Amino acid sequence: MPRLSELQESFRIAVDSLRVNLLRSILTTAGIVVGVVLVVLMGWTIGGLNAVWEQTISIIGKDMLYMDKWDWAGGGNWRELEARKDITLNQAEMLKLRMESAQFVIPMARKWGGSVVKGNTSLSCSITGTTSDYGFTSAAATLDGRFFTTTEEHSAERVVVIGHGVYTSLWPDGNAVDAILKINRVPFRVIGVLQKQGFLFMDFIDNQVFIPLKAFRAAHGFYDRSFDVALKCGSEAMLDVVRTEAIGHMRAIRNVAPDAPNDFSINETKAFDEQTKNIRLGIWVVGIGLTLLAFVVGSIGIMNIMYVSVTERTKEIGIRKAIGARRSSILAQFLIESALLCAAGALIAFPIAQAIVAGARFTAVDVLEQDWARVISPFIPLDLLVIAVTVSVIVGLLAGFMPALRASRLDPVDALRYEQ
Amino acid sequence: MSKAIIDIEHLVKRYEMGDEEVYALRDVSLTIGDNEYVAIMGPSGSGKSTLMNILGCLDTPTSGKYLFNGANVAEMDDDDLASIRNREIGFVFQTFNLLPRATSLKNVELPLVYAGVSAEERTRRASEALARVQLADRMSHKPNELSGGQRQRVAIARAIVTAPCIILADEPTGNLDTKTGQDIMSLFSDLWKAGNTVILVTHEEDVAQHARRIIRLRDGKIESDTQNHHA
Ligand SMILES: Nc1ncnc2c1ncn2[C@@H]1O[C@H](COP(=O)(O)OP(=O)(O)O)[C@@H](O)[C@H]1O
Ligand SMILES: [Mg+2]
Repeated sequence: MPRLSELQESFRIAVDSLRVNLLRSILTTAGIVVGVVLVVLMGWTIGGLNAVWEQTISIIGKDMLYMDKWDWAGGGNWRELEARKDITLNQAEMLKLRMESAQFVIPMARKWGGSVVKGNTSLSCSITGTTSDYGFTSAAATLDGRFFTTTEEHSAERVVVIGHGVYTSLWPDGNAVDAILKINRVPFRVIGVLQKQGFLFMDFIDNQVFIPLKAFRAAHGFYDRSFDVALKCGSEAMLDVVRTEAIGHMRAIRNVAPDAPNDFSINETKAFDEQTKNIRLGIWVVGIGLTLLAFVVGSIGIMNIMYVSVTERTKEIGIRKAIGARRSSILAQFLIESALLCAAGALIAFPIAQAIVAGARFTAVDVLEQDWARVISPFIPLDLLVIAVTVSVIVGLLAGFMPALRASRLDPVDALRYEQ
Repeated sequence: MSKAIIDIEHLVKRYEMGDEEVYALRDVSLTIGDNEYVAIMGPSGSGKSTLMNILGCLDTPTSGKYLFNGANVAEMDDDDLASIRNREIGFVFQTFNLLPRATSLKNVELPLVYAGVSAEERTRRASEALARVQLADRMSHKPNELSGGQRQRVAIARAIVTAPCIILADEPTGNLDTKTGQDIMSLFSDLWKAGNTVILVTHEEDVAQHARRIIRLRDGKIESDTQNHHA
C-alpha cells in the first residue's frame, strides 16, 4: 500500500496534470458527462413518477378496499373469474349490516363503457351508482360543488357528480355545476366536480361520473350486474382487520364451502403497484442501457487519454522510480488521476442534469400548466449526486487500471532514457 | 580496506536485439568499500552506464552476483529495490532529471515523499540539503529558472537528502561547461570528505582525477583498477 505522503503526492500530481491539460481533460470526460446526466435523469424520472403515483394513490385512498367479482391485479384465470356468481345488491347490503370494523361499506354499481351527453356532444366514461357514503371517501373530494346527500340518494334524485376528465372534456370553460348532463337520454343536474385523481398513465380514472344508486337502477337497471363493495377502513393500519372481517362475512353470505377458495376478490390500490413496477422497470432498463453505453464509450476515451498521459510522462515515471517510488505509488498516481478525471466529469454533468430537470419541471408546471407535476421535485436529490460521483470514480478506476498498470511496470532505465 | 558496500562477481549484462546479442558487461568483478571515491572511465559504449544502473539497483544483471551491503540483490523484489534506491542510493544524472513543474524544494523533497516522511520534516530536510549545495536562495525556483550548474546542484541535493550510503553520478558534468563542472566536482569532493561513498562515471581525465580510485572499462570488461595518487 502506498503511504499517506505518497497518496497526497499522487493527488497533487493528478490535480496538476488535469489542470495543465484542462481542455483535453474536459473533452475526454464527455462520455462520462453524458452517462452521469443519463443516470441522474433516470433517477429523477423514477423519483418523480413515484411522487405522482403516490399522489394518485393517496387521492383514491390508501385506506380503501374494494370487494369485487373481478381481480384488479389480473390475478387468477379470466374464465374462473367470469364463472363466479355476481355480487348482488342484496349481498352487498347484508355485508354492510354485518361489518363492524369498517367506517363505511359502500355498494357500487358500475357501467364501464357508458356514455354521457352534453348538448350534442357525447363522451364515453364509466357510470357508477352508489350511496351518499361514498362522499366520505377521499376519492370523492370535490373541486367544485358537492357530493350527493342521503336524501338525494333515497329519493333517486337525478343529480350527478362528474370526474375531472369529464369536466375538462365537456366544460373546457368551467362552470359545470347546475348544468345538465344526459345519461341514457335522461337529464341529470351536475352538482359536483371531483378533483383530479389520475396522473400520467392513470388519467383514465378521471373519466367517471357518480349518480345515486336508485337513479342508476332507473337508467341502467340492476339485472345481470355484479356490484362492487367499497370498504373505507379509516387508516392503512386497519386494512388487514377489515379485509379479514369482510372475507369472513362474504364467504358466509355467499355460502362458500369451508375448503373452497373465495369466489370474490378483495382489491386495493396496491394492485396498481404491479403496473407501475413494470413502468419503472422499463425506465431502468432503457436508462441503464443508455448509461452503460455512455460509460463504456466514456471509459474507452478515459483509457485512451490515460495511455497518452502515461506515455507523455514516461520520463517522469523513470525519475520517480529512480528515486524510490514503488510500483504501487505509480499505480496509485495514475488511478487517482483517472478517478479524478471521471469525478470531474460527474461534477460537470450535475449542473447540466439539474438544468434539464428544472427546465422540464418548469415546462410542465408553468408552461403547460400541469398541476399534477408540482409534486415532482425541481431538484436532483443529493443521494443521486453521491451515486453519480461514486459510479464515475469506479468507472475511472476501471478505465485507468490498464494504463496505470503499464506505468507502474515500466522499466526505470528504459523510462529514464525516454525522450519526447 | 574498509567494509564492502558493493561486492560484485562475474557480472554479465546481455542485451538481445533481434537475433543479435550485445554484451554491455562481460564478467565484471569488483568491490567498493565505505567512503571510497571511485571514478569509472572508459570510451563511449564501454558499459559504464550499464554498470552504474546495476550498481544503483535500477537495472538487474543477466548473470553474476551483486551483494549490496551484504544483501543479495538478485533475491530482492521490485519494492525492495525501490526501497534501496530510495534510502541507500543517491543518483545524479548527466541530464539532471528534475521534474520540470516542481520547485527546487519540491524536487528535493520527492525522495522523502516516497520514504513516507511527514510534510514538515520533508521541508526541513530538503531545505538543509539545498543549503549544503549553496542553493538556499533558490528553493522556490523551477528548473527552467535555474542555470545548468544550479540544476545539477538541485539534483545533488535530491541525491543526498535521504542520507544515502552511496552517491552514484553518471557523467554529472557532461552537460556543463568546464568551470561549472569544477564547482560540481568540488561538491562531490566535499561529500566524500564528509564521509559519503562517491562513485562517478566520466570520460574526462581531469574530472576522474578528483577520485582516489579509477576503474577503466573497455568492451564491458575492467581494463584497469588503480589508486589515484595525484588527487
Ligand atoms: N537497452 C539497451 N539495449 C541494447 N543495447 C544496449 C542497451 N543499453 C546499452 N546497450 C549497449 O550496451 C553497450 C554499453 O552501453 P552503455 O553502458 O550505455 O555505455 P557507456 O555508458 O559506457 O557509453 C553499448 O554497446 C550499448 O549500445
Ligand atoms: Mg553512458
